[in-house]
Amino acid sequence: MACMNEDGQWIVLMGLLVALGLFFLALIINQSALVGQTTAEGVLEFPKNDIRDLRSEIFDYVDKSGSIGDADVEKDIIAISLERKNAVVSFSAGEQQNVSGRLLRPVTIHYNNGVTEYDEVVYY
Amino acid sequence: MVNDSGQLYTMEGVAAGIIMLLTVYIVISTTSIYTAGDTHIPDMQLEQLGSDVLAMMDTPNAEEDAESDLVTYIRTTNQSDFRAMFRNYCNMRAGFDDDLKMNAYVYYRDQGSDTVKSYPLDEEDLSTGRDNAVRVTRWAQIPRTPLNLPGVGTDIDNRPQAVLVEVLLWRA
Repeated sequence: MACMNEDGQWIVLMGLLVALGLFFLALIINQSALVGQTTAEGVLEFPKNDIRDLRSEIFDYVDKSGSIGDADVEKDIIAISLERKNAVVSFSAGEQQNVSGRLLRPVTIHYNNGVTEYDEVVYY
Repeated sequence: MVNDSGQLYTMEGVAAGIIMLLTVYIVISTTSIYTAGDTHIPDMQLEQLGSDVLAMMDTPNAEEDAESDLVTYIRTTNQSDFRAMFRNYCNMRAGFDDDLKMNAYVYYRDQGSDTVKSYPLDEEDLSTGRDNAVRVTRWAQIPRTPLNLPGVGTDIDNRPQAVLVEVLLWRA
């Protein structure tokens, strides 16, 4: 050991430090590719438009048939939701009630597509 | 005096240890494969655009209007007007028109067999089957059997019913 030439060891060590720094920068670049994907996937997966569309359709349905409801239309919505949207849907409308001076029906909406669950009671 | 001639060797050993640990970490973490994030963003935008267009078409012009344009087109199976309005709304932006391709289908429930069936509303654009298409949908309620249905096999019931319009949308 004593006879070994130890010149330049600091240079080698600093070289290692620089290499480590580059390594971490590469890691950061690697991770940055995933940022857009998770965001876009989150938006694609979340059924915001489906639920809003379903709500407005149920309000249409209540407008047209009141609390008695057209059982066939209800069956249509439930069956097509399950077949095409992979969503279990259930809804009903109650009798009109006096809510702050206005006659409104309580409309119950349930939606579940296995990932997102949505439950609502709205006076309409 | 303490002999410190071996200090650099110790440092070198530590550095080598760190490098080996990092190598193991990188090798293990590469087993999961990710696609580039960019491909999902246009999909997301296209889906939002299609949903918004269908929502616009499903909105009646005024309080007095009995039904929306979307319901009218389904009720009369008006392929050309449906297509024209959808593409027109999709292209409402600055600059050149976007070359969007679309197919539209109507899904309905057959009362007799209690199954969900469909018929094409617009199949003008030919799909290669490899297009990166997104699917947008909109509910509609129609009062009776639509007029001018395509094909003899379409046996949609003559009753007030809810149908689902599905539009496949892709960029050529």
